[in-house]
Parts: sequence; C-alpha cells; structure tokens
Amino acid sequence: MKSFLAILFLASALKAQTVDRTKMPDTAPLAPFKLPVIRESKLPNGLTVLLVRDNRIPLVTFRLLFAGGGRLDPASQPGLAETVASLLKEGTAKRSSRQFAEDLAAIGGSLDADSGTDALSVFGTVLSEYTSQFLDLSADVVRNALFPQDEIDLRKENRVQELALQRSQSATLADEKLHRVIFGNHPYARTLPTPQSIGSIERKDLIAYRDRYLTPGNAVLVLVGDLVSEPVLLSWIRAGFGSWPQKPVPPLPGGSLPKPARSITLIDRPGSAQIDIHLGRHTVKRLDPDYFPLVVASTILGGGASSRLFVNIREKQGYAYDASAHHMGYRDTSLFNVSTQVRDEVLEPALHALSAELDRMGKEPVSAQELSNMKNYLNGVFVLGLASQDGVASQLAALKTNGIPNSYLEQYVTKIRSVEPDQIQRTAAKYFSRDSNAVVIVGDASKIQKTVEKFGKVTVEKAN
Amino acid sequence: MKPFLSLILFFTSLAAADLNIPFEKYTLPNGLRVILSPDNTAPVVTVYVIYGVGARSEEKGRTGFAHLFEHMMFQGSAHAPKGTHFQAIESNGGTLNGSTHPDYTDYFEILPANKLAVALWLESDRMRSLAITKENLDNQTEAVKQERRLSFDNQPYATAVSDVFPALAYKNWSSAHSIIGSFEDLNAAGVNDVSRFFRTHYAPNNAVLSIAGDIRKEEVRKLIEAYFGDIPRQERAKSPDLTEPERKNAEWQTYKDPLARVPLVMIAYPGPKRRSPDYYAITMLDVVFTTGDSSRLYQSMVKEKKSALAVEGQLGGPFGGVTDYKDPGLYTFNLTYNPSLQARQVVEQFEQEIARMQTQPPSAKEMERARATMRSFRVRSLQSTMTRAQLLAQYELLDGKPELLNSELEQFLAVTPRQIQEAAKKYLVKSKQCALEIIPAAPAEAKQ
Repeated sequence: MKSFLAILFLASALKAQTVDRTKMPDTAPLAPFKLPVIRESKLPNGLTVLLVRDNRIPLVTFRLLFAGGGRLDPASQPGLAETVASLLKEGTAKRSSRQFAEDLAAIGGSLDADSGTDALSVFGTVLSEYTSQFLDLSADVVRNALFPQDEIDLRKENRVQELALQRSQSATLADEKLHRVIFGNHPYARTLPTPQSIGSIERKDLIAYRDRYLTPGNAVLVLVGDLVSEPVLLSWIRAGFGSWPQKPVPPLPGGSLPKPARSITLIDRPGSAQIDIHLGRHTVKRLDPDYFPLVVASTILGGGASSRLFVNIREKQGYAYDASAHHMGYRDTSLFNVSTQVRDEVLEPALHALSAELDRMGKEPVSAQELSNMKNYLNGVFVLGLASQDGVASQLAALKTNGIPNSYLEQYVTKIRSVEPDQIQRTAAKYFSRDSNAVVIVGDASKIQKTVEKFGKVTVEKAN
Repeated sequence: MKPFLSLILFFTSLAAADLNIPFEKYTLPNGLRVILSPDNTAPVVTVYVIYGVGARSEEKGRTGFAHLFEHMMFQGSAHAPKGTHFQAIESNGGTLNGSTHPDYTDYFEILPANKLAVALWLESDRMRSLAITKENLDNQTEAVKQERRLSFDNQPYATAVSDVFPALAYKNWSSAHSIIGSFEDLNAAGVNDVSRFFRTHYAPNNAVLSIAGDIRKEEVRKLIEAYFGDIPRQERAKSPDLTEPERKNAEWQTYKDPLARVPLVMIAYPGPKRRSPDYYAITMLDVVFTTGDSSRLYQSMVKEKKSALAVEGQLGGPFGGVTDYKDPGLYTFNLTYNPSLQARQVVEQFEQEIARMQTQPPSAKEMERARATMRSFRVRSLQSTMTRAQLLAQYELLDGKPELLNSELEQFLAVTPRQIQEAAKKYLVKSKQCALEIIPAAPAEAKQ
C-alpha cells in the first residue's frame, strides 16, 4: 500500500517537470513490493488455513488445494484426478447436483475444480456477505461428493468428445508429445487422458481417490478478500471443515526424470495450414540457485513482446505471429519450453533463427540495458499479477502446496534483481543447448518432412 | 482488521446494489474525451484508448483494414521508433495490447502507477504521428496473414465463425463481411489508403482516453493536456449505414469443417436496441437461460437429455458481449452436441426450452439466482483497473454515458419475470432465427 508521503513526493516531482514530447519521460523507479499480511493457522485435523484481507470490493476469493493432482493417477489411468475434480459438484450426501447448482447461484457464487500437474484445486468467488454459506457449500463438495453413476457416465461420454476437440488443435498435440518426450516415465509426462483411460474409470476408483487424497492434512485453504473478523471467520471454517477426519498423508509418487537429450519428432497432421514448433527440457527445482537465472534468461529469450524471439522471429522476419519461451516451476523440477507457429515456406529459416537465438544466449553476455529492462518487466508483471484477489490466492496456494515458504513471494523481486549477466550466460549455455532439448514439430509431413530431416534424425508419428 | 461498524454499513450499501466507481469526464478542445477514475488502493494504473472504428467501418475492397491498422499502431511513431512501444512499456514493468472489434478498436497499457507518463507519451505520439511506411505496411500485412493462418485457418470452427456466420446472420455488407478480412484486400492495401484511414479514424475527436487506478487527477490532467492537447482534430468519417433489413424467414446453413472433431450449431436472433428495456430483459433472460449449472438450457440439454456437451448464450455474440453490444446485433447461442444426434434434433430441443420461456415466466427462485449472479459478475469484474477503464470508455463511446457503469446494475436487477417472458416472445421467434451447423468433415487425408 502506498503511503501518503510517497504520493506527495510523486506529485511534486511531476510539477517540477516540463514535458519533453520527443523522448520517453523520466519516471521514478519501481516501488519495492510489499506482501500483504498473511494470517496462517492450522486446524487440529491438519488443514492449513491462509487468510489475506483485501477490502477494496465486497468479494471473497476461495482456493482449496490438494497436493498431488494428476501425478497421483495410476499409470494406466491418466485422467482419474481430473474426473474426480469435474464430478465434485455433481451430487453430495447433502445435495443433488441440481440442488448444489441452485444453492450456489442463489448466493452469486462460482465454484469449480480442476486437476493440474501437482495439485487438485477447488476454487471460486462469492459476494462477501455470503461467505459462511459459501464455506458450507465448498466443504460439502470436498467432503461428501458421492459420484452418482449417471453423472459418471455422462462425464465420461462428454470427456471423450472434449478430448477429440482438444486433439483437433495442433498446439495441443505438440505440447502433449513434448511432455512425453521430456518426462519419460515420470507422471509429468501425462498431460491429457486417452479415451481408453477415461473409459476404464469406475466409481470405486473415484471414491478411492477421494478417500485417500482429499484429506485435510493434504490440503491448503486460502481465503483472500473482504473478510469478516478472524475469530468469526475461523469459526465458520471450523463449522465446515473442523470435523473432517484426519488421515495419514500419503507419499507423492515420484519416478526418475530422464536425462535431457536431443530428439526430433514430427507429428504428421495432413492438411495442416501451418506448423507448430515446440522444444524444451526439464531443468531445476524452484529453490535451486540456477532457477532465477533461468527465469530471467527465458524471459530475455522469449518472454513478452520485447524478447529476442518476438522481435526477431515475428517483428523483423515476419516468420510467425508469435514466438515465446517459458520457464515454469513444477514441484519436482521446472519446464523450459519454446513455442512458435510458422507457415510451410519459412520452416527452414525459422528453425535456423530459433537455434541461433538459443545459441546466442549461451555465447554472449546480455547487455546491462537489456537485462535491466527484462528485470523490470518480470517484476512489474509479478506485482500486477498480485493486484487481484485471485492472483494472490493462486500464488499462495500453489507455493504452500509445493512446500515453498510464503516469503518466496516477497523475495521474488529481490531475487530477480540480483541475477547477473554471467549467471544468465552460464545457465543458458547449460540448459538451452541444442544437444539437450527435445523438439516436436506438428505439420503436414508430406510437405515438410524433408526440411525437418535437414536438422537431424527424425521420428515421424501420425496425429491421432 | 475491519471494525464491526463498517461491516454493517457495508452490507447496507451492497444490498442497495450501490457499487460506486468514482470518475470524472471532460473533453479537450480537440475533441478528445477523457475519463479519469482514481483508485488509490493498489499502485497500478490502466491507460485505455478506444477509437470509434472497427470492422464494420470498413469499405468494400478494404476488408481487414481495421485489424491491419491495429497492427500498424505498434510499428512506431515520430519520437517512438519501431520497437519502442513494446520495449518502453515492458521495461517499465507493464503489459499492453490492442484488439479489433466490429465497432471499435482499443489499446491499453497496465503499469505500475508511477510509470503512467510513459503510456501517455506513447499513446499521444502514435495518435499524432504514426509511421505509415511501405516497409511497416508490408511487414504487418504478413503478420496479419500469419495471424489468420494461426488463429483462423488452422483452428476448428474459427473460419465458420468469422467468415461464414456473419454472412448468414446479416444482409448488410458492413456487418456481413469477414472481421479479419481477405488476403486479396490486404495485399492490395497501399500506403495512401492506410494514411487516409488513419487520418479519418484515428483522430482525437474519434477517441476516448480512459485512465483508472492510482492517480492524482490534477497532475494527470496536466500531463494529458501536455501530451494530447494540440493533436489536431479531423473531419469525422461518415458513420457506416448499418441498417439491417428485417429477417422474415428462418435460415439454415451447413458448413463442413475439416479441423473440427465435434459438431457445433450456432443459432442467432436479431437483438434489441442497446439500452432499451428489452436490452436489459434479454440480458437477464440469458442469465436464466444459459449462465451457470443451474440455468435452464444447461439443466435440460446437458444434464437431462444429455444431447449437448456445452451451451453458451451471448447478447452481442459472436465477437463481443453485452457490454459492447451495438445494434443491429445478435443474440447468439453455441451448442456443441453429441455426435450421435442430428443438429436439427438438437435445435428442436433448444426450441422447446424457448417455448417454455415464452409460456411461463421465470420463477421467483430463478429470478433471485439471476440477480445474485448479475451482482456477483459485476463486483468481480470491477476489481481490476483494466475493466473499470475499459467499461467507462466503452460506455462513453457507445452511449455517451460512462455513468452507466454505476447505474446500469439497478436496471438489470429491476427486470421482471414478465418482461423476460415478453422478450422471449418478441425476439426468440423461429422466423427470425438463423442457424449454422458446423460438422466435422473427413480429414484431408481421406480425400486424397
């Protein structure tokens, strides 16, 4: 929150200034980021509770995360956790599916659930005057979901159709394959279920997942917003979640990560109007010293519209509408990946340009100006993301579930600022090198296979 | 910690649906309308500029210009050469974008509050002196074509929605032509055409500048005067004649989509006049009909009959929504459905629900849910400075009344069940319906 003094200072600084329209105006540096106060407690049954007050609007944002998510799916049954998530609202011991929908709408609430790489999330918002009713509804779904058979059947049938829809998009195919190549036998390899695995899911599997993993000791509850006094709020939370029986927290299945290696896979999608190129590898955990240099390096390479990939591949060469790089922290490691979409005629020069940009990151130090610009960008976007209730809630919940301390958020800006050019060059040389990154290309093989083969040994697969 | 007393006050004001967003509006001598909405609770500011030009302002042989122009706006201006725009905003910790719509084109920057002047400098420099060169034009023509390949030609349903559907739903060319334009027209675009388009449409008197967030109004007014004050006004372009002949007969078209895997049917009816009583009634009807898991269409078609995978309704669809709806416009529905059914069967079930709405007004419980949903949507959306700036600017451009942001919720909440029933009878009429059935075509390889 900005202090009164800071506002006065800004005002007087502006008064003294005469506007020179021929150049970018001088402005004060970014203000340091201050994390809002986080009130953390634990119920006797092991449920972790984080409360953050934000009284700007009469709204409360809710997140309840369970560690594990999709990685807890049996190897033969990818899609189990997401099916659990999608059926939580479809009938509980207290309410039919329809009753639940009506009760939720009557308080202007939204409540949804999904399952990601490391967590199953239940999330929503409600007008703050209805916070206690909302807590009652959310406790009902995570504790009492019954998974009625007709709802399971409908969900399975519709999910198979949705899968067909998802797989009709070439970027989805590229992303799915890239995860398989990079993560091998690790659960992170599975991004989407198959019609067969969805078909195999039975009610007993859903109940077993619920009973084993949807437990208070495995969960983090975050409420951000226009909250009532803490004693009152905690009494509502205890009313909903206090009698939820404690259970032992099961270990997370791991699996080793394969050694990153070069490979090229071409997925043949006949009639494709353009080509999706994805490449990447797994890197390091969030608390590793290479993590922040990698975040900054990936951003210089392909984060935002002043990154090298965007400027060179889109703006200068016009090869693609978009070209970007990301570095995403998972629990066991992080994923570095680059993606772009080009038309058939420019595939070869675009692949050369992509390789050249990856190599350059490891060969030359970044200039002080480019580095400082990118650090400002990263920090600015980080702070903007935390300006909304959902931004705060989702960040806090994800960190807590992955065992990262809350202070990580406050230190983020400082950690980004302290990354040096030599760290960037060293990590880029190590992690962006072409002999350690897997490449997946989706396009019409009859038109592009010969071109792709110029870049190495190619495995061709059919798009399904 | 919030004291008990303020809690009570708060509940009282919320019950009156009174979410007051403070703002002030004024006009510079050159015609630029300015809206300032201070909110000092987070150190963030949004600068949003909206121009009254969109795809429906295009002329024959010049389709795609509105969108091409949105790209040109990032290619540099007199004092901010090519590449400066993205870098200046991002290196100051901000994000930015622009987008093209049927009736307007908008640009925004979201920044740490103390970086506001950077956005004002950039927006004013390109409004005054955009660099329209052959090189920039060729480069962006290619980028737009690539965007078309990526976002339309290579995506299921996209071609049907952007090219086929408007031609079915509208008779007037201004509304019926493709929003993204044709490659032929883009190739034919010359520097002179683009310059003329810029002068007429990108003038201060055809724009609204809206700023929301952590600002001090007196200081911002001075900055705006210094940056925008002497940009010359231009003669306004003639507004396109959008008059749409009344639809007399239902129309049905089938489109085979080689990229689609699941069938989809789009259904549309001509919508009401913006801000008329029917506009509010249709919006509330849509909440009862399609919003959330308790809505009628979801319960009936997705849950009971299991014929639809998903149902969506939108006043202002398929390219916009209720806030930027402009008549003549459409009330559209998208239904992805079970492939074992025929589109005609699905539409028949949909029409049974319409008939139910026409014979029987929503119940008191349904109305209670619809009102709570409406309030909740509004509160949620107003937490971002971006939405505040955007809605204030859109309401100024489309209504001349940004104050509707604070007053319109009451009008939505005042809609009666009877008005909804009457609106269903008046607008959701078979003879005014058009439907586009999009079915998966055999994959390209099967044809070879």
